[in-house]
Amino acid sequence: MANQVTNTSDADLLAAFAAGDRSAAMTLTQRLTPRVMGQAFRMLGNRAEAEDVAQDAMMRLWKIAPDWDRDRAQVTTWLFRVVANLCTDRLRKSGRGVALDAIEEPSSDAPSAAQSLQDSARTLALRAALAELPERQARAVSLRHLEELGNPEIATIMDTNVRTVESLIARGKRALIARLSGRKAELGYEDE
Amino acid sequence: MKMNDDDKILDAGFAQMRAQDVVPSEGLLDRIMMDADSVLAANIAPPVRTKQGLGAMVLDVIGGWPSFGGLAAATVAGLWIGVAPPAALADISAGYLGSTVEVPLFDTEILLGLDG
Repeated sequence: MANQVTNTSDADLLAAFAAGDRSAAMTLTQRLTPRVMGQAFRMLGNRAEAEDVAQDAMMRLWKIAPDWDRDRAQVTTWLFRVVANLCTDRLRKSGRGVALDAIEEPSSDAPSAAQSLQDSARTLALRAALAELPERQARAVSLRHLEELGNPEIATIMDTNVRTVESLIARGKRALIARLSGRKAELGYEDE
Repeated sequence: MKMNDDDKILDAGFAQMRAQDVVPSEGLLDRIMMDADSVLAANIAPPVRTKQGLGAMVLDVIGGWPSFGGLAAATVAGLWIGVAPPAALADISAGYLGSTVEVPLFDTEILLGLDG
Protein backbone atom coordinates (compact mmCIF):
# COMPACT_ATOMS: atom_id res chain seq x y z
CA MET A 1 0.00 0.00 0.00
CA ALA A 2 2.82 2.36 0.96
CA ASN A 3 4.57 1.54 -2.29
CA GLN A 4 1.40 2.23 -4.22
CA VAL A 5 1.23 5.70 -2.73
CA THR A 6 4.95 6.23 -3.27
CA ASN A 7 4.71 5.19 -6.89
CA THR A 8 1.61 7.22 -7.67
CA SER A 9 2.45 10.19 -9.86
CA ASP A 10 2.00 13.75 -8.67
CA ALA A 11 -0.65 14.30 -11.33
CA ASP A 12 -2.63 11.24 -10.20
CA LEU A 13 -2.42 12.36 -6.58
CA LEU A 14 -3.59 15.83 -7.58
CA ALA A 15 -6.55 14.30 -9.42
CA ALA A 16 -7.38 12.22 -6.35
CA PHE A 17 -7.24 15.33 -4.18
CA ALA A 18 -9.55 17.14 -6.59
CA ALA A 19 -11.96 14.20 -6.18
CA GLY A 20 -11.94 14.70 -2.42
CA ASP A 21 -9.11 12.39 -1.27
CA ARG A 22 -7.42 14.07 1.72
CA SER A 23 -4.69 11.43 1.96
CA ALA A 24 -3.54 12.43 -1.53
CA ALA A 25 -2.98 15.96 -0.22
CA MET A 26 -0.94 14.57 2.67
CA THR A 27 1.29 12.60 0.32
CA LEU A 28 1.76 15.58 -1.97
CA THR A 29 2.56 17.82 1.01
CA GLN A 30 5.21 15.41 2.30
CA ARG A 31 6.65 14.87 -1.17
CA LEU A 32 6.68 18.39 -2.59
CA THR A 33 7.09 20.77 0.33
CA PRO A 34 10.81 20.03 0.93
CA ARG A 35 11.60 20.83 -2.72
CA VAL A 36 9.44 23.94 -2.71
CA MET A 37 10.88 25.09 0.61
CA GLY A 38 14.43 24.40 -0.53
CA GLN A 39 14.05 26.34 -3.74
CA ALA A 40 12.47 29.29 -1.93
CA PHE A 41 15.17 29.31 0.75
CA ARG A 42 17.98 29.17 -1.78
CA MET A 43 16.47 32.09 -3.69
CA LEU A 44 15.52 34.23 -0.68
CA GLY A 45 18.04 33.21 1.98
CA ASN A 46 15.45 33.61 4.72
CA ARG A 47 13.59 30.74 6.34
CA ALA A 48 10.49 32.66 7.39
CA GLU A 49 10.04 34.16 3.94
CA ALA A 50 10.73 30.80 2.32
CA GLU A 51 7.99 29.20 4.46
CA ASP A 52 5.53 31.90 3.39
CA VAL A 53 6.37 31.27 -0.25
CA ALA A 54 6.12 27.50 0.19
CA GLN A 55 2.68 27.80 1.79
CA ASP A 56 1.50 30.21 -0.90
CA ALA A 57 2.76 27.95 -3.70
CA MET A 58 1.10 24.85 -2.24
CA MET A 59 -2.17 26.76 -1.76
CA ARG A 60 -2.10 27.62 -5.46
CA LEU A 61 -1.57 23.95 -6.21
CA TRP A 62 -4.64 22.95 -4.17
CA LYS A 63 -6.75 25.58 -5.90
CA ILE A 64 -5.72 24.58 -9.41
CA ALA A 65 -6.26 20.85 -8.75
CA PRO A 66 -9.81 20.60 -10.20
CA ASP A 67 -8.65 22.29 -13.43
CA TRP A 68 -5.26 20.57 -13.68
CA ASP A 69 -4.33 19.64 -17.24
CA ARG A 70 -1.84 16.77 -17.01
CA ASP A 71 -0.76 17.37 -20.62
CA ARG A 72 0.29 20.93 -19.86
CA ALA A 73 3.26 20.34 -17.56
CA GLN A 74 4.59 18.23 -14.73
CA VAL A 75 3.42 19.28 -11.30
CA THR A 76 7.01 19.89 -10.16
CA THR A 77 7.76 22.03 -13.21
CA TRP A 78 4.67 24.10 -12.56
CA LEU A 79 5.66 24.49 -8.90
CA PHE A 80 9.22 25.54 -9.76
CA ARG A 81 7.77 28.28 -11.93
CA VAL A 82 5.32 29.43 -9.24
CA VAL A 83 8.03 29.50 -6.55
CA ALA A 84 10.45 31.33 -8.84
CA ASN A 85 7.80 33.95 -9.62
CA LEU A 86 6.82 34.39 -5.97
CA CYS A 87 10.46 34.74 -4.90
CA THR A 88 11.21 37.16 -7.71
CA ASP A 89 8.25 39.30 -6.67
CA ARG A 90 9.51 39.42 -3.10
CA LEU A 91 13.05 40.25 -4.16
CA ARG A 92 11.77 42.99 -6.46
CA LYS A 93 9.58 44.52 -3.75
CA SER A 94 12.44 44.48 -1.28
CA GLY A 95 14.78 46.23 -3.71
CA ARG A 96 16.17 43.04 -5.32
CA GLY A 97 19.49 42.85 -3.52
CA VAL A 98 19.71 40.70 -0.43
CA ALA A 99 21.86 42.09 2.35
CA LEU A 100 24.49 39.70 3.63
CA ASP A 101 23.56 40.30 7.27
CA ALA A 102 19.90 39.58 6.47
CA ILE A 103 20.68 36.09 5.26
CA GLU A 104 20.21 33.25 7.69
CA GLU A 105 22.73 30.49 7.56
CA PRO A 106 21.35 27.08 8.47
CA SER A 107 23.36 24.96 10.83
CA SER A 108 25.60 22.36 9.25
CA ASP A 109 27.95 19.64 10.37
CA ALA A 110 31.15 21.31 9.26
CA PRO A 111 34.47 19.61 10.10
CA SER A 112 35.70 22.57 12.12
CA ALA A 113 34.55 25.94 13.30
CA ALA A 114 37.02 27.75 11.03
CA GLN A 115 36.03 25.70 8.02
CA SER A 116 32.36 26.20 8.85
CA LEU A 117 32.80 29.94 9.01
CA GLN A 118 34.63 29.95 5.71
CA ASP A 119 31.97 27.78 4.06
CA SER A 120 29.27 30.07 5.39
CA ALA A 121 31.07 33.14 4.14
CA ARG A 122 31.47 31.59 0.70
CA THR A 123 27.83 30.56 0.54
CA LEU A 124 26.68 33.99 1.61
CA ALA A 125 28.95 35.64 -0.92
CA LEU A 126 27.66 33.43 -3.73
CA ARG A 127 24.03 34.00 -2.77
CA ALA A 128 24.60 37.75 -2.59
CA ALA A 129 26.25 37.66 -6.01
CA LEU A 130 23.31 35.67 -7.37
CA ALA A 131 20.90 38.25 -5.98
CA GLU A 132 22.74 40.98 -7.87
CA LEU A 133 22.44 39.28 -11.25
CA PRO A 134 19.79 40.33 -13.76
CA GLU A 135 16.57 38.54 -12.88
CA ARG A 136 16.46 36.02 -15.75
CA GLN A 137 20.14 35.13 -15.41
CA ALA A 138 19.72 34.56 -11.68
CA ARG A 139 16.69 32.39 -12.24
CA ALA A 140 18.33 30.29 -14.96
CA VAL A 141 21.52 29.78 -12.92
CA SER A 142 19.53 28.89 -9.79
CA LEU A 143 17.37 26.35 -11.58
CA ARG A 144 20.38 24.75 -13.26
CA HIS A 145 22.94 24.69 -10.47
CA LEU A 146 20.84 24.77 -7.29
CA GLU A 147 17.77 22.79 -8.35
CA GLU A 148 19.81 20.73 -10.84
CA LEU A 149 17.15 20.83 -13.54
CA GLY A 150 17.89 20.10 -17.18
CA ASN A 151 17.94 22.95 -19.68
CA PRO A 152 14.75 21.80 -21.48
CA GLU A 153 12.81 21.87 -18.21
CA ILE A 154 14.27 25.27 -17.33
CA ALA A 155 13.19 26.51 -20.76
CA THR A 156 9.64 25.30 -20.03
CA ILE A 157 9.62 26.99 -16.63
CA MET A 158 10.93 30.24 -18.05
CA ASP A 159 8.76 30.18 -21.19
CA THR A 160 11.74 30.30 -23.51
CA ASN A 161 13.94 27.98 -25.59
CA VAL A 162 16.96 25.90 -24.65
CA ARG A 163 19.47 28.10 -26.48
CA THR A 164 18.32 31.14 -24.54
CA VAL A 165 18.63 29.20 -21.32
CA GLU A 166 22.19 28.16 -22.20
CA SER A 167 23.05 31.76 -22.96
CA LEU A 168 21.50 33.04 -19.73
CA ILE A 169 23.40 30.46 -17.67
CA ALA A 170 26.72 31.17 -19.37
CA ARG A 171 26.38 34.95 -18.94
CA GLY A 172 25.17 34.49 -15.37
CA LYS A 173 28.15 32.34 -14.41
CA ARG A 174 30.60 34.79 -15.98
CA ALA A 175 29.01 37.60 -14.01
CA LEU A 176 29.18 35.57 -10.79
CA ILE A 177 32.88 34.86 -11.32
CA ALA A 178 33.51 38.54 -11.97
CA ARG A 179 31.70 39.50 -8.77
CA LEU A 180 33.48 36.91 -6.64
CA SER A 181 36.93 37.48 -8.13
CA GLY A 182 37.43 40.62 -6.05
CA ARG A 183 36.76 38.69 -2.86
CA LYS A 184 38.98 35.64 -3.38
CA ALA A 185 41.44 36.56 -0.64
CA GLU A 186 38.64 37.46 1.77
CA LEU A 187 36.92 34.12 1.15
CA GLY A 188 40.14 32.10 1.41
CA TYR A 189 40.22 30.92 -2.20
CA GLU A 190 43.77 32.12 -2.87
CA ASP A 191 45.15 29.74 -0.24
CA GLU A 192 43.84 26.66 -2.05
CA MET B 1 44.17 31.70 -10.83
CA LYS B 2 42.94 30.08 -14.02
CA MET B 3 39.42 30.17 -15.44
CA ASN B 4 39.11 26.51 -14.59
CA ASP B 5 39.65 27.32 -10.93
CA ASP B 6 36.88 29.91 -11.08
CA ASP B 7 34.51 27.25 -12.36
CA LYS B 8 35.56 24.97 -9.50
CA ILE B 9 34.89 27.75 -6.99
CA LEU B 10 31.43 28.25 -8.41
CA ASP B 11 30.67 24.55 -8.48
CA ALA B 12 31.84 24.16 -4.87
CA GLY B 13 29.68 27.11 -3.84
CA PHE B 14 26.62 25.70 -5.59
CA ALA B 15 27.24 22.32 -3.95
CA GLN B 16 27.38 23.96 -0.53
CA MET B 17 24.13 25.79 -1.17
CA ARG B 18 22.44 22.59 -2.33
CA ALA B 19 23.58 20.79 0.80
CA GLN B 20 21.96 23.30 3.14
CA ASP B 21 19.51 21.79 5.56
CA VAL B 22 16.14 23.38 4.89
CA VAL B 23 13.75 20.77 6.23
CA PRO B 24 10.21 22.20 6.37
CA SER B 25 8.96 22.69 9.92
CA GLU B 26 6.01 20.70 11.27
CA GLY B 27 4.16 23.99 11.59
CA LEU B 28 4.53 24.67 7.88
CA LEU B 29 3.32 21.18 6.98
CA ASP B 30 0.31 21.64 9.29
CA ARG B 31 -0.55 25.00 7.73
CA ILE B 32 -0.31 23.54 4.23
CA MET B 33 -2.67 20.69 5.20
CA MET B 34 -5.09 23.19 6.75
CA ASP B 35 -5.11 25.03 3.44
CA ALA B 36 -5.76 21.75 1.63
CA ASP B 37 -8.65 21.00 3.99
CA SER B 38 -10.22 24.40 3.37
CA VAL B 39 -10.00 23.94 -0.41
CA LEU B 40 -11.33 20.39 -0.07
CA ALA B 41 -14.30 21.60 1.99
CA ALA B 42 -15.08 24.32 -0.54
CA ASN B 43 -14.84 21.91 -3.48
CA ILE B 44 -17.08 19.19 -2.06
CA ALA B 45 -19.66 21.38 -0.30
CA PRO B 46 -23.11 20.10 -1.38
CA PRO B 47 -25.31 22.51 -3.34
CA VAL B 48 -27.89 24.40 -1.25
CA ARG B 49 -31.29 22.68 -1.57
CA THR B 50 -34.56 24.05 -0.22
CA LYS B 51 -36.88 21.58 1.50
CA GLN B 52 -39.66 20.60 -0.93
CA GLY B 53 -43.22 19.88 0.24
CA LEU B 54 -45.66 17.35 -1.26
CA GLY B 55 -47.60 20.05 -3.15
CA ALA B 56 -44.43 21.40 -4.72
CA MET B 57 -43.36 17.88 -5.72
CA VAL B 58 -46.77 17.23 -7.42
CA LEU B 59 -46.51 20.58 -9.16
CA ASP B 60 -43.04 19.62 -10.42
CA VAL B 61 -44.38 16.29 -11.75
CA ILE B 62 -47.18 17.84 -13.80
CA GLY B 63 -45.01 20.63 -15.17
CA GLY B 64 -45.53 23.63 -12.92
CA TRP B 65 -48.28 26.24 -12.52
CA PRO B 66 -49.08 26.77 -16.26
CA SER B 67 -49.77 23.06 -16.71
CA PHE B 68 -51.79 23.02 -13.49
CA GLY B 69 -53.97 25.90 -14.81
CA GLY B 70 -54.70 24.06 -18.05
CA LEU B 71 -55.49 20.85 -16.20
CA ALA B 72 -57.91 22.64 -13.85
CA ALA B 73 -59.72 24.37 -16.72
CA ALA B 74 -60.14 21.09 -18.63
CA THR B 75 -61.47 19.36 -15.50
CA VAL B 76 -64.10 22.06 -14.84
CA ALA B 77 -65.17 22.10 -18.50
CA GLY B 78 -65.56 18.31 -18.56
CA LEU B 79 -67.59 18.31 -15.37
CA TRP B 80 -69.87 21.08 -16.67
CA ILE B 81 -70.49 19.25 -19.96
CA GLY B 82 -71.38 16.13 -18.00
CA VAL B 83 -73.85 17.93 -15.70
CA ALA B 84 -75.48 20.16 -18.28
CA PRO B 85 -74.63 19.05 -21.80
CA PRO B 86 -75.40 21.74 -24.34
CA ALA B 87 -78.18 21.10 -26.90
CA ALA B 88 -75.69 21.14 -29.75
CA LEU B 89 -73.89 18.17 -28.22
CA ALA B 90 -77.18 16.15 -28.12
CA ASP B 91 -77.79 16.98 -31.80
CA ILE B 92 -74.30 15.74 -32.73
CA SER B 93 -74.87 12.48 -30.84
CA ALA B 94 -78.23 11.97 -32.57
CA GLY B 95 -76.62 12.67 -35.94
CA TYR B 96 -74.01 9.96 -35.36
CA LEU B 97 -76.24 7.34 -33.75
CA GLY B 98 -79.51 8.03 -35.52
CA SER B 99 -81.32 8.55 -32.26
CA THR B 100 -80.67 9.54 -28.69
CA VAL B 101 -79.45 6.57 -26.72
CA GLU B 102 -79.41 6.32 -22.97
CA VAL B 103 -76.77 4.04 -21.50
CA PRO B 104 -77.32 3.22 -17.83
CA LEU B 105 -74.12 3.24 -15.90
CA PHE B 106 -75.58 0.93 -13.29
CA ASP B 107 -78.13 -1.77 -13.57
CA THR B 108 -80.70 -0.16 -11.25
CA GLU B 109 -82.78 -3.37 -10.91
CA ILE B 110 -79.80 -5.27 -9.57
CA LEU B 111 -78.91 -2.40 -7.31
CA LEU B 112 -82.42 -2.26 -5.91
CA GLY B 113 -82.67 -6.05 -5.48
CA LEU B 114 -85.63 -6.35 -7.82
CA ASP B 115 -84.04 -8.90 -10.08
CA GLY B 116 -85.75 -12.28 -9.77
